Amino acid sequence: MNTFKRSNEPIAWSLFGAGGMVVAFIIPVLAIITGFLFVPDSSLRVYELIDSWLSHWIGKVGLFLIISLTLYHTVHRVYHGLHDLHVKGNDVLMLVLFYGTATVLSVVCAAWLLVI
Amino acid sequence: MNRKPYQQPQAATWWFKNHFYRFYMLREASSVPVFLYAVWLLLGLFRLNQGALEFNAWLALNTSGVGQILHLVVIAAALLHAYTWFQLTPKILVLRFGNFRVPDEWVMGGHYVTWVLVTIGMLWLAITG
Repeated sequence: MNTFKRSNEPIAWSLFGAGGMVVAFIIPVLAIITGFLFVPDSSLRVYELIDSWLSHWIGKVGLFLIISLTLYHTVHRVYHGLHDLHVKGNDVLMLVLFYGTATVLSVVCAAWLLVI
Repeated sequence: MNRKPYQQPQAATWWFKNHFYRFYMLREASSVPVFLYAVWLLLGLFRLNQGALEFNAWLALNTSGVGQILHLVVIAAALLHAYTWFQLTPKILVLRFGNFRVPDEWVMGGHYVTWVLVTIGMLWLAITG
């Protein structure tokens, strides 16, 4: 008789692993770009550049993966980090709170990308 | 579960006692600014949908003094993550071809080379458009 409950951890860890790659490879340079290179001007150069990138499906998929995988990666770390800090909550509630937040924000991201 | 295994008591500040545990916690904590940055990018996407002027206001916040200091925090957190992540990859990504095992240094080096190429490529894209 098999009474073991299947763990969610492999799914969470795959997203965590993929997100870890995104945070390592993309986020440092992206933060340099948004913080120091994309200075707004009256010619709206930056606006038109990003609008043209995100009009293409490759740009949409790219930004979606960057944002959603970063969210899944970071909520996974905070979720387990709180456990390390002995912050305890209802198991189901904590799962819904952290992975649910990443999921809801990812859906919002996809919706906003599709209306561009 | 009927078992009630003994759990040795552990203070919530256990990680504070040791240099390695403190660094571990710093690495885990680096995910907080990165999470906030992802949410901030999402807000930028929302502003982009509102229009050019609204998006320019978001860009202006990014490149303001406070915005740039916060960006530096995110960059530092992401770099700390990248360094620790690439240290781990040879342990997870074990490549074998017959009896030959790809050395850890090659796996790590490959990640660093890719990192430099991605960084230069994205900077080039952002500057030349």
